[in-house]
Amino acid sequence: MAAVTGTGRRTVRPAPLALGLGVALTVALTAAVALGSTDIAPGEVWSVVFRRLGGGAPRPGTDDLIVWQLRVPRALLAALVGAGLGLVGTATQALVRNPLADPYLLGISNGASLGAVAAIVLGASTGGLLGLGLSAAAFAGALGAFALVWCMARRGGGFSPLRLVLAGVGIGQFLAGFTSYLVLQAEDEQQTRSVLFWLMGSLSGATWEVLWLPALAVTAGLLVLQARARPMNALIMGDETAAGVGVDVTRLRRELFVVTSLLTGVLVSVSGAIAFVGLMVPHLCRLIVGGDHRRLLPLSALTGALLLVVVDVVCRTAMDTQELPVGVVTAMIGAPALLFILDRRMEAGR
Amino acid sequence: MKAGDGTVAKGEGGPMRVEIEDLHVGYAGRDVVAGVHLVAAEGEIAGLVGPNGSGKSTVLRTVYRHLRPTAGRVLLAGADIRELSPGRAARQVAALPQERGSDFELTVREVVVMGRTPYKRAFAGDDDGDRETVARSLAAVGMAGHATRRFSALSGGERQRVLLARAFAQEPQVLVLDEPTNHLDIRHQVELLGLLRAQRRTTLISLHDLNAAASLCDRLHVLHKGTVVASGTPRAVLTPELLAEVFGVRAAVTAHPLTGDPLIAFDHRQTAGADLLREPAG
Repeated sequence: MAAVTGTGRRTVRPAPLALGLGVALTVALTAAVALGSTDIAPGEVWSVVFRRLGGGAPRPGTDDLIVWQLRVPRALLAALVGAGLGLVGTATQALVRNPLADPYLLGISNGASLGAVAAIVLGASTGGLLGLGLSAAAFAGALGAFALVWCMARRGGGFSPLRLVLAGVGIGQFLAGFTSYLVLQAEDEQQTRSVLFWLMGSLSGATWEVLWLPALAVTAGLLVLQARARPMNALIMGDETAAGVGVDVTRLRRELFVVTSLLTGVLVSVSGAIAFVGLMVPHLCRLIVGGDHRRLLPLSALTGALLLVVVDVVCRTAMDTQELPVGVVTAMIGAPALLFILDRRMEAGR
Repeated sequence: MKAGDGTVAKGEGGPMRVEIEDLHVGYAGRDVVAGVHLVAAEGEIAGLVGPNGSGKSTVLRTVYRHLRPTAGRVLLAGADIRELSPGRAARQVAALPQERGSDFELTVREVVVMGRTPYKRAFAGDDDGDRETVARSLAAVGMAGHATRRFSALSGGERQRVLLARAFAQEPQVLVLDEPTNHLDIRHQVELLGLLRAQRRTTLISLHDLNAAASLCDRLHVLHKGTVVASGTPRAVLTPELLAEVFGVRAAVTAHPLTGDPLIAFDHRQTAGADLLREPAG
């Protein structure tokens, strides 16, 4: 990946790169549907998809069911969550002006985790927590965390990076304490396992019904953020620079915080807190196409989608007996990848 | 470095008059600027000088709208800047603040094109006019061949020139510069002042180096404890008495042997508590 040469000149053009990533994503999605406990030929995959998209009746046999009811929604959910995490990571890094910030830094995911874990642990004993499903409980938790962080971060001049990070980390740890307590209260091993599985991030809940909300959130998030790409460029240079080129800094920060929080809440509520994607993907993309958000946002979305689709295939097929939570694998490959990127960056900076 | 083939074209309208009326600005309930009046006439270079903490940067930050005044007004050609939209104000006033970039991977061109932000709606790309303005702005600061370099890999002097090009790309009628020569070696300082002299916008600039201020500015405004204590031409303002009173240093003021500008020779051997205006012995 000869992204940045020693002189700092970039060699990768954005348009061919986007095209390449688009092709790669199509191939990856096909592979994700074809591979699994039962392998299905890629031709059969597309024939099922086209027949279903054309409104055709399901063909008898299990392949049709596996492709259309199980693997296509799952592959699409992986792509959506990956794209969303790429976007949310890029926006969070601009929001707190730190290229190594993580979307989970602002405490929203801790709120979602608390909601989900409460639903799993208390739900079994109380017959459904307030009647909420797992995802709804997680999203409610995310909103609660967002409200707390908002109230703390807005004080004293409003949403400065330092205030946002301090409020986010503080609230996040506070909520994580309650989550840990609830995990200890789990009644049996099965419950503990499902809590852990959720906390590590997993796409196993994918169905067609689950898809529409993340699809809507990711599309809306991309549009709202892309509309602010130019002001975001000024924001990463500094508040005074941004003010000097006509950006209403406090308002932009507020908007970015709302958008990233809602999008994070939706993503975490359908898949758990999948680690490292939101941190690594924008960073990687920035090394390839540079820091201009007009290019960075769509490329982070595409790259995030591609990465998570591929990783989920690995999670489903690596072990015969069980499926790995996707967050385990993103962390295992993400951390070394990040260190490698940082190392290259240091070299390039000389 | 050659300063290109002259100045960068301005936006609609010529230079603009800036008036600061009874400006008060405070942080955490305490007024750092308490009743500043000053006027920069059309096309004039107005220098703000004064000791650390005298309120120079605070006044300038209010002009480019990073800070909001607690009382008083900043007028651009008679219009209160708080009543202009942020975009409208930024098409008239461009700033070179003291903050110095970031770790994000921006190229020189991406930094300069930021100056086009106030002219752009959401989703609008760069058009030929933007590209031309960016190229012209980079040429004006002598950085024409550097558009694809990484901003964070530039030297201090190069960065300042690129940030000045960004301000030029904003096509403003007013330039605001906060200590633009800080951390530059003497050659880069001289070059930067030359670039500022070559353009004819109304300019508000804060400078620590009083000799640089004396050579560059049409008028100087001396700030002390949040108010303007003297205004006028460098020759009229920079007297030994004022330097003793405001800066607490002993100095002689002569004429520069090469340029004829006021030249301040500081007594770097002065002892603490000495009578600052006493004639040197012998």
